[in-house]
Amino acid sequence: MTSPALPARAPARRFQNLYLRTWQALWVLPLPAWLLFFFAVPLGLLVAISFWSVVNYRLTPDATLSAWRYVLGLDFLWASFWRSYGLSLASAVAISLLAFPASYAMAFVAAPRQRLVLLGLAIAPFFTSYLVRIYSWQVFLAEGGVISSIIQAFGGKGESLLNTYFALFLGHATLALPVVLILQTIALANVDRTGISAAANLGARPGAILFRVILPAARPGLALGLLFAFLLSYAEFVSAAYLGGGAFQTLPILVTDLVRAGQQWPRAAVVSLLMIASLLATALATVLWAYREKG
Amino acid sequence: MMTNPHLKMQGLAKSYGTFVAVEDFSLDIAEGEFIAIMGPSGCGKTTTLRMLAGLETANRGEITLAGTRIDQLPVWERKTPLVWQSLALFPFMTVRENVEFGLKMHGVSRAERRRRADDWLERLGISDYADRNVARLSGGQRQRVALARSLVLEPKVLLLDEPLSALDAHMAIKMQGELKKLQRELGITFVYVTHSHSEAFSLADRVVIMNAGRVEQIGSPQDIFLRPRSKFVAQFVGGISLLEGKISGKKDDEWFLETRDGKVRLGHGCGLAEGETADLAEGETADLAVRADRISVTVGSGWGENEIACTLVSEEFAGAVVNLHLETASGRSLVAQLQQRDLEQLDASIGARVYASWHPDDGFLLESARTSGSEPRERAA
Amino acid sequence: MPPHQKHSLPKAFWIAGLAVVFLLLYAPIVSAVLFSFSADRFPSLEISGFSTQWYAQVLTDRAILEALWNSLTVAGLTALIASALGFAAAYADYRFRFFGQKAVLALALLPPTVPLVILGLAMLAFFSRIGIAGTLMAVVAAHVVIAAPFAMAVCRLRLAQLDTELEIAAQNLGAEPHSALIRIVLPHTLPAILAAVLITFAVSFDEYVIAWFTGGLNQTIPVAVLTTLQGQVDPTIHVIGTLSFSMTLTLVLIALAVVLNQSGGRMSKEET
Repeated sequence: MTSPALPARAPARRFQNLYLRTWQALWVLPLPAWLLFFFAVPLGLLVAISFWSVVNYRLTPDATLSAWRYVLGLDFLWASFWRSYGLSLASAVAISLLAFPASYAMAFVAAPRQRLVLLGLAIAPFFTSYLVRIYSWQVFLAEGGVISSIIQAFGGKGESLLNTYFALFLGHATLALPVVLILQTIALANVDRTGISAAANLGARPGAILFRVILPAARPGLALGLLFAFLLSYAEFVSAAYLGGGAFQTLPILVTDLVRAGQQWPRAAVVSLLMIASLLATALATVLWAYREKG
Repeated sequence: MMTNPHLKMQGLAKSYGTFVAVEDFSLDIAEGEFIAIMGPSGCGKTTTLRMLAGLETANRGEITLAGTRIDQLPVWERKTPLVWQSLALFPFMTVRENVEFGLKMHGVSRAERRRRADDWLERLGISDYADRNVARLSGGQRQRVALARSLVLEPKVLLLDEPLSALDAHMAIKMQGELKKLQRELGITFVYVTHSHSEAFSLADRVVIMNAGRVEQIGSPQDIFLRPRSKFVAQFVGGISLLEGKISGKKDDEWFLETRDGKVRLGHGCGLAEGETADLAEGETADLAVRADRISVTVGSGWGENEIACTLVSEEFAGAVVNLHLETASGRSLVAQLQQRDLEQLDASIGARVYASWHPDDGFLLESARTSGSEPRERAA
Repeated sequence: MPPHQKHSLPKAFWIAGLAVVFLLLYAPIVSAVLFSFSADRFPSLEISGFSTQWYAQVLTDRAILEALWNSLTVAGLTALIASALGFAAAYADYRFRFFGQKAVLALALLPPTVPLVILGLAMLAFFSRIGIAGTLMAVVAAHVVIAAPFAMAVCRLRLAQLDTELEIAAQNLGAEPHSALIRIVLPHTLPAILAAVLITFAVSFDEYVIAWFTGGLNQTIPVAVLTTLQGQVDPTIHVIGTLSFSMTLTLVLIALAVVLNQSGGRMSKEET
């Protein structure tokens, strides 16, 4: 029995490699290709557009910094930027605090089976009509609406709560709560139970256990919850427009207005890129903080 | 040399980046032979098996099975079923569906599939569980399903990757016996990878010892047990004391070894195959190996020919025998194995001075003393 | 009682916290359902009577029915494409080691973090250049971008529970790559794929920013709601809301039941 001469094997192996590579590419490539074409290219185009100019209301390819100079020199842009950033940060903190007792209840009070059901019910609204829920809040908050009627029944004045930060916060919470609840609950439920037992065994009281064992161990998940609450609130513009009224000119509203009302594409692109930059910086800082090694 | 090997591996090599997993593996296996490949973890034994099955592509080398080159065939065309360490049974299928799977993939008709699968279930004594989900079986039953699933394909060679490691010790020994019996009855070539001495030595016709990607020794269990070729094999197999020294003076056809603990006489032929003594040269360094059961321990000196003064370091009870760990003046460790009642007559406590001695013919020189220096990375149980 | 069940504050406190959150989550949904059956045009606590007139109005409104059809088309196509792409990417990550694997994973998880307004803007600019702006296909292309990461995550989590050796074991027994995939990987992943279809459908069905930017005159249901929202009080929004709540909540709850059941109650999932 002799094996085939050496040269014969090379094509066979090459064919087999080709077959396997094609098969592998069939699975590896589709999603990245789609994302490159419909996600990366549009975002790249947005970057390019920020250097273009508008001539006679027509967007014209160019290489000018005029949009950047114009936008960065606007006082109201910076006012709007810090307002957006501050409001979203405030909402993110408030939403995280609001969600924490509920997450704690799901992680430690509820039985595992109950926890899953509760989590399912908590995440489900995330996927259902956000706009209609905002409209519902409008009905709750408006003058003569549900909340003011209740306040009036107790002898209060019952003014409209629309156009207040509280209204805006409700909008942000409506959007972000499900995500924050999920992230917090998973973080808390994954805290090592033996670590808690060990702390108790060493004489730690429940309060000390919460602050010295549970919270530090759950920190990455809690920070991730905070980050997502911020991202969602920062990008949100429907509640800013319809619950906050004109009171809160946030960046997303600015972006829409620049395009819808003035065809100012390059300026809108610049504002968008500023938003993305600040967003990435915040995300990076949060992640670094969340996974920071102790000591 | 086999004139017409059933399974022939020639110069197989595999590396991942700069890490060499297997370097130049060659082995001829006869039909119906039971081969065990053994070595510490990371020695390349599993990689070798995976190259056989086509799960890894060799960088170099050829594999021929029953006269056909198979190393260029993809996994699914090799017909080299593997019994996985994790068993890898299909969890959402019944026992019968698991066993029928390979036949189905080879286009065997439904009725024939069923007949052959049931045949094997019967043969391995798991017919009663045919319609049960594999998740609801015991370890031993799952093991049998894994075997049936591979054997039903009537392969020319069966590959086994530490198949008994998931079982508890008692069950593993029981399955070991069944495996050997099955292999004898079927006459199928088995290539069995393990890190267990007892499995390799009790099952295999020939054992391949690997270390750091290289083959250290190939031989029958007796060969390897009694005549380890290298320091590595001696230490891996265990129960062998090694003495390093320089060959010295031929006097009346006698050879000696100058060790740091004194001069010892080498036996006739030095334990090497005939004719090889001619290679010995004055002043050359060499390793002398003596099996633990050939070393006598005494309190007084002058009982044996080759005698070295030692300190008794510890005693280790191993059933009917006791291993005495000794240390020579130069700090070398020796092991002597004594019968329980011999120990009772030895009036020595830990720390006492004793003498280790052996007959020159019980010592043998390691063949590859000069090339092999590496220690076993892990001593398997 | 194990230490983790001894709480620093009374159990009632934590449960009350849970109740508050669920109230916030479900009050707007419940209120929309209630008011959709109210006889009054202006929603208030003094409901004068029960009526289905708003349902009649919605179900005979040609514009809304057209929007509904648009929504179903877009969501249906998005669900199919996003789930297929998501499964492919999840399987690739599970099965193969390839150059740039981490980069691909990062790229796939990026879209949900980019504000929809910016995505909408960028996509409108891009689609105008390639001449498909204002078509439903543009909306589908964009929705796949934001929905596929969800599909990938759901499928990947399910695949993580499948021993990688099983597929290779099937090949070792003579199965070609595609049969091994169909007979070993698919049966295991099917529930997750189903969940992915439902979730991506829901994501697309409720998305309004990108649909508003890129859909042009082809309104989907949420875009129609958005336009109505800009006007004055309109009780038909409650009807549309109730209908879409019932649909998406059903889809998502089925999907979650599937995902949770198959994961055997393990807390390893991260939906977002």
